[in-house]
Amino acid sequence: MTIMKPTRLLPALALALAAAGAHAQDKLTLQLKWVTQAQFAGYYVAKDKGYYKDVGLDVTIKAGGPDINPSQVIAGGGADVIVDWMPSALATREKGVPIVNIAQVFQRSGMELTCRNDSGVKSPADFKGKTLGVWFFGNEYPFLSWMDKLGLKTNGEPDGVKVLKQGFNVDPLLQKQAACISTMTYNEYWQLIDAGMKPEQLTVFKYEDQGVATLEDGLYATEKSIADPKMADKLARFVKASMRGWDDAVKNEADAVKIVLKNDASGAQKEGHQKRMMGEIAKLVGTGKTGQLDMKAYERTVDTLMKGKSEPVITKKPVGAVTDKIWLAAQK
Amino acid sequence: MNRRNGVTVLAVLVLAALAFALLSRVQGDGPKGADAAGVWWLLAGWVVLLWFVLGRLAKLEGRVLGLLAPALFGLALLYLWEILVVGWEVPRVLLPAPHAVGEALSARWGALWADFRQTALSVLAGYAAGCGSGFAVALLADRYKLLQRGLLPLAGLAGAVPIVGIAPIMVMWFGFDWQSKAAVAAIVTFFPMLVNTLAGLASVDAMHRDLMRTYGAGHAATLLKLRLPSALPFVFNALKINSTLALISAIVAEFFGSPIYGLGFRISAEVARMNVDVVWAAIALAALAGSLFYGLIALVERAMTFWHASYRA
Repeated sequence: MTIMKPTRLLPALALALAAAGAHAQDKLTLQLKWVTQAQFAGYYVAKDKGYYKDVGLDVTIKAGGPDINPSQVIAGGGADVIVDWMPSALATREKGVPIVNIAQVFQRSGMELTCRNDSGVKSPADFKGKTLGVWFFGNEYPFLSWMDKLGLKTNGEPDGVKVLKQGFNVDPLLQKQAACISTMTYNEYWQLIDAGMKPEQLTVFKYEDQGVATLEDGLYATEKSIADPKMADKLARFVKASMRGWDDAVKNEADAVKIVLKNDASGAQKEGHQKRMMGEIAKLVGTGKTGQLDMKAYERTVDTLMKGKSEPVITKKPVGAVTDKIWLAAQK
Repeated sequence: MNRRNGVTVLAVLVLAALAFALLSRVQGDGPKGADAAGVWWLLAGWVVLLWFVLGRLAKLEGRVLGLLAPALFGLALLYLWEILVVGWEVPRVLLPAPHAVGEALSARWGALWADFRQTALSVLAGYAAGCGSGFAVALLADRYKLLQRGLLPLAGLAGAVPIVGIAPIMVMWFGFDWQSKAAVAAIVTFFPMLVNTLAGLASVDAMHRDLMRTYGAGHAATLLKLRLPSALPFVFNALKINSTLALISAIVAEFFGSPIYGLGFRISAEVARMNVDVVWAAIALAALAGSLFYGLIALVERAMTFWHASYRA
């Protein structure tokens, strides 16, 4: 056979390179609000089951942790999209960091205040004069709004409540250092049960039941990203694949738990705890239009945050803090 | 006043006038960043003049006159910070200008003062407990040699414990309030005091010790009349080191669980809320308190160890 001239190979090479280029995935970084756990199952499922790959995205998931405020991470350019709670995001927006809600994953709030029965707290009327614990780093806003609604001062005055900045554990309640502590339905409450407390010994006040719930886990990106057509397209694809991941996680909880545990670099998460967490999280994720922001819930959150008489979380009604542009593009 | 001094005074007046003019130019709607090139060239000239003035002032002697150079240097640094941040429009969340920090300090003074009182309580209690126990254990270890052999390595271990590791444990043991922060400060200040006191007690001249022996002085008398006074410079060294250590460890300990007041709490909570000017105000307050604390101990040291070679210039 005749020796092929090298130039004959050129078209084939060009085609191969073009094909490889088309398969090159766009990079995107997601910053989670907390450590790797079932609270973020949707994203891990989307990554593991290839949903991100299907839309041409190479997503890096950065786990959060103590002292990591996702709003600060995106302000510093450390991520393209973050998972954050709406009160924290709106407060950060008012400080001059232009982040915008592009999808609302959790439709219901999982925040609650858990009290020991032997501290004498049976209803919110009993809070006066007691010590209550709350996390900070962005999680204190719903609590401060609620205390304001109840008319309880948080600066240690005898008529009000004594507030502790609790760490990310449940020791203050176990050690009777506080009458009540902040817990999530899917996490710390179960840590209390695991530590030996019985449900009969605890009284739980869910923020949803008290009418002071605010929107929690949602996806946020900067105004600059949303205005840039290429970035907006990447975000829309990300939302599409993530919501697919969430639908999958809610339908196949056992699979989701396995995937989360596989991705847990620290090895600290236990299967039993994650199974319970996934079950509770599934109750918070909206059914139907996964990820769509309910404007009524948004208005309720804004109202709750602005109502604070002494220390409102935000002082002005937010303008342009949410957009449905990305979510609608993701539906295509 | 002679001609030399006259030139210096004139230079200072020019510095002040030029500083004021340059800052007014870039403030408000004035040109910023690269547009204000003229301002930056003039500022460079201003720094050269400052250097000249500082050189002249540094040669002055005397209690009051000797303070002029450092005071001018400090003011100049504050001024440069202000004009560079305002002139280059540095974002507030990155580095607030001194005037913003000042505004935050006055606006939140009530809360910051309450924070300071809370932290000061932990610092003073921990400092007293740590230094006191370090001193007492040093006296014991000096008397009983076996304690020295056994305790010193353990004390060294205690000194090496990271604050961020011990603070949550102390919170679990002593609760959220000032007691746990005082415990952390006590642990951190224990080792420097122990080591310095032991070194001081051992630093006595052999001749002086022999002299006391010829007088028939027992252990207690030798300790009180010879060795403790000799050890004072070392003890004060430890007291000065511990003053800043206690403040730092109390503030860091407040990051790990505290009531909602305290300088450490204020810093961690406000940095999360992006109120960086309040963070700087808290930092300024802590730095001022720490310097005053250190200065106070230095003054007491001067009074009590005036005889030491380092003061006989």
